[in-house]
Amino acid sequence: MRKYILKRVIAAVLTMWVLITAVFFLIRLMPGDPFQNPKMTAEVRANLESYYGFDKPLIVQYGTYMKNLFQGDLGYSMKFTNKTVNTIIGETFPFSADLGIRALVLALSMGLVLGIISARNRGNKLDFVCVIIAVLGTSIPDFIMGAILQYGFGIKWGLLPVAQYNGIKYTILPACALAFYTLASVSRIMRASMLEVSQQDYIKTARSKGVSELRITCKHQIRNAIMPVMTVMGPTVASVLTGTFVIEAIFAIPGMGKYYVESVSNNDYSMVLGMTIFYGVFLILCNLVVDILYGVADPRVRIGER
Amino acid sequence: MAELNKEAFIIRGKDTTRMENISRPSLSFWQDAWRRLRKNRSAFIGLCIVVLYALLAIFAPMFSQYTQSQMDINARSAFISSAHWLGTDSTGRDLWVRIWMGARVSLSIGLIAAVVNMCVGAVIGGLCGYYGGKLDMIVMRIVDLLYGIPSLIITILVMMVLGKGITPLIVAMCVVGWIGTCRFVRGEVYRIKEQDFVLAARVLGVPDFKIIIKHMIPNILGMLVTNLCMAIPGAIFQEAFLSYIGLGITPPDCSWGVICKEGIQYLRYSPHQVLIPAFFVCTTMLALNLLGNGLRDAVDPRLRGTE
Amino acid sequence: MKKRVLAALLAATMAIGMLAGCSTPKTNKQEDSSSESGEKVFRYSSRTEPTTLDPSKTNCIPDCEIQHAITEGLVRNTGGEVTPGVASDWTVSDDGLVYTFNLNPDAKWSDGEQIKAGDFVYSWQRLLDPDTAAPYAFIGEYIKNGLAVETGKMEPSELGVAAVDDVTFEVTLEHPTAYFLSMIGAQPQFAPLRQDIVEKYGAEFAADAEKNIYSGPYVLTSAKNQKWIFEPNENYWDKDSIKLDRAELSYVQNQETALAMYESGDLDYSEIPSAAVPTYEGKDNTFRNGNVDYYYFNCDESTGSPIANKNFRLALNYALDRNSFNTLANNGVHVPSNALVFSGLSGANSTYGEESNLESYPLDGDKDKAKEYLATALTELGKSNASDITVTITTTDADSAKKQAEVCQEMWSDVLGINVEINQVTYAETLKRQQSGDYEIAWGGWGSDYDDPYSYLELFKSDSSYNYSRFKNDKVDELLAASQTETDAAARMDLLHEAEQIIIDEAAFLPQAERDVHYLLDEDVKNVKFFYCSVNIDWVYADIQ
Repeated sequence: MRKYILKRVIAAVLTMWVLITAVFFLIRLMPGDPFQNPKMTAEVRANLESYYGFDKPLIVQYGTYMKNLFQGDLGYSMKFTNKTVNTIIGETFPFSADLGIRALVLALSMGLVLGIISARNRGNKLDFVCVIIAVLGTSIPDFIMGAILQYGFGIKWGLLPVAQYNGIKYTILPACALAFYTLASVSRIMRASMLEVSQQDYIKTARSKGVSELRITCKHQIRNAIMPVMTVMGPTVASVLTGTFVIEAIFAIPGMGKYYVESVSNNDYSMVLGMTIFYGVFLILCNLVVDILYGVADPRVRIGER
Repeated sequence: MAELNKEAFIIRGKDTTRMENISRPSLSFWQDAWRRLRKNRSAFIGLCIVVLYALLAIFAPMFSQYTQSQMDINARSAFISSAHWLGTDSTGRDLWVRIWMGARVSLSIGLIAAVVNMCVGAVIGGLCGYYGGKLDMIVMRIVDLLYGIPSLIITILVMMVLGKGITPLIVAMCVVGWIGTCRFVRGEVYRIKEQDFVLAARVLGVPDFKIIIKHMIPNILGMLVTNLCMAIPGAIFQEAFLSYIGLGITPPDCSWGVICKEGIQYLRYSPHQVLIPAFFVCTTMLALNLLGNGLRDAVDPRLRGTE
Repeated sequence: MKKRVLAALLAATMAIGMLAGCSTPKTNKQEDSSSESGEKVFRYSSRTEPTTLDPSKTNCIPDCEIQHAITEGLVRNTGGEVTPGVASDWTVSDDGLVYTFNLNPDAKWSDGEQIKAGDFVYSWQRLLDPDTAAPYAFIGEYIKNGLAVETGKMEPSELGVAAVDDVTFEVTLEHPTAYFLSMIGAQPQFAPLRQDIVEKYGAEFAADAEKNIYSGPYVLTSAKNQKWIFEPNENYWDKDSIKLDRAELSYVQNQETALAMYESGDLDYSEIPSAAVPTYEGKDNTFRNGNVDYYYFNCDESTGSPIANKNFRLALNYALDRNSFNTLANNGVHVPSNALVFSGLSGANSTYGEESNLESYPLDGDKDKAKEYLATALTELGKSNASDITVTITTTDADSAKKQAEVCQEMWSDVLGINVEINQVTYAETLKRQQSGDYEIAWGGWGSDYDDPYSYLELFKSDSSYNYSRFKNDKVDELLAASQTETDAAARMDLLHEAEQIIIDEAAFLPQAERDVHYLLDEDVKNVKFFYCSVNIDWVYADIQ
């Protein structure tokens, strides 16, 4: 196990290096540059280019970037001058993570419960209700979901704050909007997985032994059925915690999502790289955890084998 | 309950000619699946809706007096009427035509992207899960890598190289789209390959190829179908997101994502502009989900022959 | 039983979902709205995120609006009216080239130190120093040797600014500039800077509210989490004119959200998104922000594109029904325009628009004339059919940009029968294509940094960086050059009007509309001013009654 983790960590470092390198060169291929103001004159542009070292060969710029990176310095944002990428991530991540954790807890718990209810009541009305919820969740785009929640609860009934983040009350609507899609997909996968498991011999054995249905569900089915959900959760956790552009925009949450998307369209090179690195580390960690949990949740799976 | 007595029963005797008959018609896997699908009422409704939408997408715009880009300054944001069956949008374009023109784009993007992603992902994920080891390690790191690169960069670059339009959009989606399925299938295969029936097959000397075809695929097909039904809306949404940030379909073409996006600003003032396209997205997804559930049950090898 | 357990589980998970999560991140304390606490608080929002707090590096309107409150230039421009700032009075030499400002010794920094002439010298030199790489350095090119310093050909010390003594600041210009005072009163790049503070923090200068020092009527007490909080500057020389106790700027990207926040009382001012304008008719106010929407035509003949043909460009201009265009593309909220220069600018006596007698394309379009021009163009291009012509509109990924393009596409193909394609690319790529000339018709538009038509006309000066249309006309160049030295205001305006007429006659671009901003402002908020150059909303002297 320790050897496996060590191997994975080495692989992760390598992956990160390739990722950084790939993104570093890919963003330079993108059309346009970070200095986007129609009023900027050619002279000013030239000054800015030498200020950021763009006049040097790309490989030299890459070397400088990697050197700074080793010292933990992600550089200054090119759009939000005077602010380092580290500062921006430090300021925005707590908001995204806070919202993300609430959404994940909600999505996971509700999703699993709905999936289990749905599977146990397969084919009857309760199942159908669960299917409808899941369908709504997966088929309403988040920008519509967010806007409807905001309009309904915030404006029409005035029950909850409309936008911004000034306390727990403010997180309810965005967290719900954020959770809905994940909730729905978790419930779908859980349902399918539960049905899959319910056909297994050990369930039949348990049932024929006279073990109560509730006990079968809790003791045997759920533990075995949760695996596919976990696989999906790896990347989902990473992306939900690092913020969502649309939901954060609708609810005016000062999170990371906006910077992740807009830095790309702004060609803010240092910001794109910083965000990619941050997200990449997060993602690789999540996937590693999922792979390790595989072994924990299912004794038959021995990771790293064959 | 009525009393039982001997008179109620008739002795039918044995019919020796039928004794050797096989009670269940000999059906191939797919014949059986189709038979079971037809018997599943909700799945059949789902199938009907999907077919209906597909037919409308093909034919509805042909029989309308409007085109998808024709604007009417006097009928802006008009509500449902006999002239405009589903109302108009903020520039007076007929939503009935736009919905079905959009359906062409959205449904084809959804289907093509989802199916391509599914196939590629399933094959790669299956191989990784089954063979594990170095192959798995390398492919999974590539997967991490592709997850890590902001998809927007990939989309913009693909569009820069291939231009704008439906094909580049699908290509852009497929470059990274398969990795979700890949991880998922890999996980499933990991789990199944340790199960007794696979072990038994292996002990009996069944070649790997045959194990994958005969045992692995039928066993994960159910989950795969569920996944596919999620992947179609996923692809439609991704297109909607790209439209949200302005990188989707180029006008005059439109898609459901585009129509939703254009309508969302009017949520409070003329809600039909966003609720109608949202309704079609939802019902399509509902239909696909019902169909998916039915398919899942239909292809489940353990449910074979049962009603 | 089972159901009850499941129901309990469900309820429990919902509760956990809502309450769990890491500790709430610290946010700026939200206090009750002004009326309850008796404090005078003004809360507004911007849909573009300010990019910097460094006055030299400001490069967008939200940046300028913040700086307008926290810095004090030599003079202060409030809605077009120039009043003394740090300078209590000034003199201009007869040739209009040398400005001498007498500084008010009572003008203080927020730490109590006097604002000296040297602070201006340092700031203006820093603006043009190539090492600063200020995105708006070009605005200092009016100053003598400005361009040479900017391009590194001269040392910053050679810039035409001088501190005669602590309270006398002298600046020499390249050429007479009628709008110089108006410009330095609104553009924060001309604000003073304290060398010791800037050097103390280095690259981190103005990274947040603490690493800064303020010369203006307000100081920032917080500038993070997409919120900027202003409080009056105790050391401000004219602090009696400042009525507010606090102002809060929130960055709210989504206009619908901003409107909803206004309605729920979280904001005192909000712009109205165009979709909502009809709903708020009668309750709203408007101001023009000086932005005029255009499409640039690539006039470069070497491209071989039909758009390089003057008659074809005229056909496109006449074919556009600008009134309908405005209704369809902008929900009718803007004002259709057939001119290059924003009509609200100051002219010689009244506004530029009123003094103008420009002959331009009719606002309703003229289909017959359009077809005539098209026929001529077809002959000149050697094409037999209008449908043989395909032109591409390169536009940005914004919603409004897309709608504009769709309406033009529809109108042009309807009236002229030509094929129009739309190429939506990112904003960055649109700009890149404008600069490199890789387009036929491109999304564009202009807002001025100073109250003068020259800013708009410069777009068609052949050697200008902004000549995205690649337009070359000797007469226009001549007129514009003459306007730079003409000191008589009326004569100068005549030159500019004449240049505009030529550009319109040559159909160098496609004017569309002047932007009209519809907004809601709480009734108890008084004295908020609007302006069309660099500072749109000016709440510095606002009061709440």
